[in-house]
Amino acid sequence: MEMKPESRSSATLTAGMPVVSFQAVSKDYLADGQKVRALDNLSLGIEEGEFVALVGRSGCGKSTLLNLAGAMDFPTSGRVLLDGTPTSSLNDSGLTCIRREKVGFIFQSFQLLPTLSAIENVELPLLLAGSPTGRTAAREMLGWVELAGCEDRMPHQLSGGQMQRVAIARALVHSPRVLLADEPTGNLDTTSGDMILNLLRRIATEHKTTTLMATHSLEAAAMADTIVRLRDGRVEEVLRR
Amino acid sequence: MTRLLLFFRLMVRPLFREPIRTATTVLAVALGVAVVIAIELAGDAAAGSFRSSVETLAGDSEIEVTATGGVPDDLVGKLATLPYPIRVRPRIEGFAVVTQTGESVPVIGLDLIAEAGDRMSRDWKLPDFADGSERGADLSSGVWVGRRLASKAGDQIKLQINDDTREYKVRGVLPSSAGDNAVLMDIAEAQQELSRTGRVDRILIRVPDQPSLEIWQQRLRQVLPDGVQVRPQGSGTEENRRMMAAFRWNLRILSYVALVVGAFLIYNTISVSVVRRRPEIGILRALGASRREVLAAFLCESILFGVVGALLALPLGRAMAVGAVNLLGTTVNSLYVSSQPGSINLNWRIIGLALMVGIGVAVLSAISPAREAAQVSPVEAMARGRREYILRVEKWRDLWIAVGLGIAGVAAAKIPAIDGKPLFGYLSAILFIGASALAMPALVEALLAAGTRVLTALLGVEALLASRSLKGSLRRTAVLVGALSTAVAMMTSVGIMVGSFRQTVVVWMNSQLPADIYLRPVGNPAIDRHPTISPDLADQIEKLPGVEAVDRFRSYDINYQNMPATLASAETETARYYHSSGFLSGKPDREVVAALRGGDNAIVSEPFANKHHVKAGDTLTLSLGERKVSFHVLDVFYDYASERGFVILDRDTMLKYLPDPAPTNLAVYLKPRANLAAVRREIERVSANRAVLIFSNRDIRAEAVRIFDQTFAITYALEAIAIIVAVMGVAGALLALVIDRRRELGLLRFLGAATAQIRKMILVEAGVLGLLANLAGLLLGFVLSLVLIYVINKQSFGWTIQFHWPVAVLLAALTIVYVATVLAGLYPARIATRLIPIEVVHEE
Repeated sequence: MEMKPESRSSATLTAGMPVVSFQAVSKDYLADGQKVRALDNLSLGIEEGEFVALVGRSGCGKSTLLNLAGAMDFPTSGRVLLDGTPTSSLNDSGLTCIRREKVGFIFQSFQLLPTLSAIENVELPLLLAGSPTGRTAAREMLGWVELAGCEDRMPHQLSGGQMQRVAIARALVHSPRVLLADEPTGNLDTTSGDMILNLLRRIATEHKTTTLMATHSLEAAAMADTIVRLRDGRVEEVLRR
Repeated sequence: MTRLLLFFRLMVRPLFREPIRTATTVLAVALGVAVVIAIELAGDAAAGSFRSSVETLAGDSEIEVTATGGVPDDLVGKLATLPYPIRVRPRIEGFAVVTQTGESVPVIGLDLIAEAGDRMSRDWKLPDFADGSERGADLSSGVWVGRRLASKAGDQIKLQINDDTREYKVRGVLPSSAGDNAVLMDIAEAQQELSRTGRVDRILIRVPDQPSLEIWQQRLRQVLPDGVQVRPQGSGTEENRRMMAAFRWNLRILSYVALVVGAFLIYNTISVSVVRRRPEIGILRALGASRREVLAAFLCESILFGVVGALLALPLGRAMAVGAVNLLGTTVNSLYVSSQPGSINLNWRIIGLALMVGIGVAVLSAISPAREAAQVSPVEAMARGRREYILRVEKWRDLWIAVGLGIAGVAAAKIPAIDGKPLFGYLSAILFIGASALAMPALVEALLAAGTRVLTALLGVEALLASRSLKGSLRRTAVLVGALSTAVAMMTSVGIMVGSFRQTVVVWMNSQLPADIYLRPVGNPAIDRHPTISPDLADQIEKLPGVEAVDRFRSYDINYQNMPATLASAETETARYYHSSGFLSGKPDREVVAALRGGDNAIVSEPFANKHHVKAGDTLTLSLGERKVSFHVLDVFYDYASERGFVILDRDTMLKYLPDPAPTNLAVYLKPRANLAAVRREIERVSANRAVLIFSNRDIRAEAVRIFDQTFAITYALEAIAIIVAVMGVAGALLALVIDRRRELGLLRFLGAATAQIRKMILVEAGVLGLLANLAGLLLGFVLSLVLIYVINKQSFGWTIQFHWPVAVLLAALTIVYVATVLAGLYPARIATRLIPIEVVHEE
């Protein structure tokens, strides 16, 4: 696979309407009373169905970027557009709605609710959104991640790879426009990690779900259509397949 | 020193990082201990005052001579002329009502001439008749009073004694050593005022040290008639204390319930602390800390909770005691003995008790979680990915132990009282509480499993998450439900017991108060005071148009088997009867009462029968006046008016031995179709110059119910505190649950949960906890109420109580508890909605 570098100034990846768009976004945090800049005037656009890997050292702003993309946080300056809607213009319930409809999250440590079974974990986003068809969709999704038959298992009865596949099923069950994955293979062995990466690849291809994955792993990044290298809160380099 | 430093760094510092949880635990201990010491202080103050008025004025005598109905005063002369170096002091002891304030005060009649020159007399600045200065002084209408009643000699004071009111000149104000509310007068006047002509209430005798007190008592007995009692001075006070013992014991036990609820919460706090600090414990173990040191650290943490809680409890308990004393005073006066509450004295014994109880309960409840901490293996505790360590719950083993405890509880309930104390009754209650606590995990799990689906259907996904979360932390949930359900059970059981008792009393009153109008002298009713009504008033009333008959009821204080009791007589010929039997034998009232007439027959009340093991057919020997008389016990009657017990004779029989005709109460029966209001007006007219209270049948029932409710007010106060402790515990524990599950709550926000959904979830958790606690508490409360009614009450007081569900009261109380529990979830819910999801989800 060959990746083509692009200039830092042309960080908008698409010519058409991006699903996720960062426009001159800066994000500051207060740590022990000191202002820390996590993202610095960053601009980036990600198209529908695109699989983007965010790479860079710890603290370069990968997780902050994911949180902004998932409407979990607001930028200090600039705009984040999610499917054309600026997140800063929404109140708490507006943000909740946009997360319910358009965003799915996957975490490094799986983050399954230990008291719910696999299928209950998967149907949770639909139930929270008040959808009555949760169980059927959840069953289908578990089948898609090849966990049919494991519906009633509790998280502690699953392996790491299985737990992450449940998490993926949960992230996709409501057919989000954007899937945000934070180090999804960080806690997995190679075989399980590969399986997860293949799933993510298929999601982008088959479901046309825009996937944004933060990772330290070059192998994982290599599965993506586009690699965005971050450094000190800025886009250092964009490599496209 | 280094250990102390380590303890501070590793155990104390973390407590400051969670101020709310630490504060609620300390407050739970403080409230629990405060209740215990408040009841102890209030009990001391209420009981301590037995001796305050009358006994303080008794001076330094060693022996007292008493007789039912009074000691004939010729015996004073007989004793005084004995060839022994003894000092004889006759006393009249009664009560008066200060008309201006309505306060009941002791009236003491002293032989001022005989007392002259005595140290006590000098101390109280009574006139010294020995030096001749007061010789020939008119002693009538002159009284010496405590500081509270008058400020200086020369004042006037209006006193009501029996049913007569008179103004007295204050001849002197007594120093505080004589009590601040006593009224002293010359014995001759006291005899006249209190209708004790020819008799005195007590003769106090001072005897030399040698020979022994027993020998002196024997010598005196030899010269005195059979019915006259010779005993060490102050025996009455001791008897009162003994009589009150059961009451104080029960109150004490009740006060410990809030502490038990507090114990659940300490257990929970230390358990949570152990779970949270598992990695820390692992690191410490890896760095060389021994199991024993870990155990000691957690036990010391609990001691810290105990000490701080106990110290806080001291001022809190003292403040509570002020309220409790008033409530207890009413009970003591209406059931046991007239007394003025003494001062609340926070002494070293109470401080020691607070520390002992506080530290004791803290350490006992911390033992299990501390042992668990000591078992932590370093490798396991430090292993990554094991954050969600779930405490071991051996619910099946615990359930079997619970069944065993339950069986033991039933067996304990069947064992009789020991020395009048229902020790096995208490044990039975403790065993049932223990059984309930151990059965709680299985019960909670079963109820959650059964109810989750319904709850989810009713309340949505938040209910699913809430019940799963509660089930997920089963041990913690079980402890919380255990704590709250114990408080609810206490409330329920006492509610059922009091409700049943109340209903029994109401039913009993309906059958035992047949007269239309009742009269008694003015003043607060007290069981050991028997002020009288002039006999001519009864005669006047009897002659009024519309009056069919008057029952002259007369009562005396007696001593039977070294316990106080009430001897009373009724005019059995005038009494009317209802169809229901008031007797344990079930015989018709008319039949038993007819047999009472003629001959030395008596009927006794159920508490008397139980206390003295007397039954129908037995013979009862009583000291009446100068004689000892044996009575045949015809039957035992249900009675809820007094715990000390009644012996009832026919009036003619009583007059044969105690010829004073003055009644203490009158029961007036009207002719059929007589106008109640008109007759009452007539009675008011003829008694216009008498200090008597007139009650219609309805009034007297209402008054009895009012006194009943006042008597049990303290139990409601104790219940309320236990509930407050438990609800506070729920709030604290829910907060801890929110903090522990913050990552999960943050995750839900990532998955699309709105803040309202998070809030709802926490409130549903609080609601489910409340519901489970109410259900379990109602069940346990029912069992405990059976123990209270049929074992503890029966063995302590001897009352037969018919079981009755006070549905409205219970429903209201359970609703309040439920609402309070849900409200307790508000603050934790607010905290949960304010968590920042990004921070909590990514924290490791």
